[in-house]
Amino acid sequence: MDPEFEMKKIRSINDEDIVRVLGHRNPGESYKSVHPPLDEMDFDEDMMKELVEPIPGAKEGGRTRYIQFTDSVYNAPAHPYDRARTYMSRFRGVDTGTLSGRQVIEIRELDLEKISKELLETEFFDPAKCGLRGATVHGHSLRLDENGLMFDALQRYVYNEETGRVSYVKDQVGRPLDTPVDVGEPLDEDHLKEITTIYRSDNVSMREDKEALEAVLTIHQTRTDGGFGLDVFKDDLKAKLGDDK
Amino acid sequence: MEQIKATDVRIFPHRRLKPETTEKILNALLDLEGVLRFLVNGESLPKTVGYGPARGTSVDHPDRKIITVKGKEVELLVSVGEIIVTIRLENLEEFVEKTKAILEETLDFGFDVQVGIFTRQQATVSDNLKVAYGIEEDFDPRLIGLVDPKDNSNETVKLIR
Repeated sequence: MDPEFEMKKIRSINDEDIVRVLGHRNPGESYKSVHPPLDEMDFDEDMMKELVEPIPGAKEGGRTRYIQFTDSVYNAPAHPYDRARTYMSRFRGVDTGTLSGRQVIEIRELDLEKISKELLETEFFDPAKCGLRGATVHGHSLRLDENGLMFDALQRYVYNEETGRVSYVKDQVGRPLDTPVDVGEPLDEDHLKEITTIYRSDNVSMREDKEALEAVLTIHQTRTDGGFGLDVFKDDLKAKLGDDK
Repeated sequence: MEQIKATDVRIFPHRRLKPETTEKILNALLDLEGVLRFLVNGESLPKTVGYGPARGTSVDHPDRKIITVKGKEVELLVSVGEIIVTIRLENLEEFVEKTKAILEETLDFGFDVQVGIFTRQQATVSDNLKVAYGIEEDFDPRLIGLVDPKDNSNETVKLIR
């Protein structure tokens, strides 16, 4: 989350391959634009426009496109809320949406590809426990398969049992790719347990988990207090009842 | 129809099974005494992409395979997450013991084996409606609990012997 912290780069993927997996344009194709470059446009005088330096994609007038990740509850390196905070603190000009099982980031296409490269090549991404999914994202809370891969109804990525590597055979939304895109070996499970940001403990019943119980009880207590207005609205309530003298 | 006493045994592996492993386990379990029926459950695998720009494209999921169980071909429609076996009450103890042995041999990760009732016991309104609306011709009481209310039993039930 700390923007100063440099994430360890653990794999390298071609720029072209990233473009293909994203599926927004063909490799080599120019960026489609939604408005002319900002330099050529006439604006009314606006302080804010002078103060804020536009990001490269906005300068060019490129389209807004997205990349979306699904992160398994089984110790994926990053998780939706975590991703949102990281995106906000690291990148400029992003719009990010957090859902229970997926996390989308929207930005101008030109900048998106740079960001995607950073997200895919560093320890932020694990080929087995994270999935690049534009549609049909279901699977983050399901058991892993025998090879340790997260469930994907569209099977965008496959595990090669001989080489032990994962490769994408479809793009984000499930359109088949001409040639598979290799994204490297899954990270070691023990290593993942160390670096994961998820809070979980397995096979512990609710009543034995002191920390969880404490949290639930605190929530219950504060909700009840708040609901009855105890302490919170005491003076206000007294005033209404004419009791404040 | 003669009444028998039976109960369910639920096999719950801690990982989703590959078709090959499922095939191995099913074949081994079918050799045991007293098994009546199997319910292979899991996350359903679509044939075509349902949403998004790629809607309608075929999926070709490697887990949606045809496996051979006792010489009969069975198409797996799901990514196998649990197997529920209905077993005659008198064979129960022996079955559970042998199942555990089979699973320990084939799986290299954890699993749970539970005894209880995991399928429906009575015909539901949906079951009766299927016959009434002519979606299914006849209603076989042996299939209660095996078929999803939305499904046609011809498509999801396979008779092996």
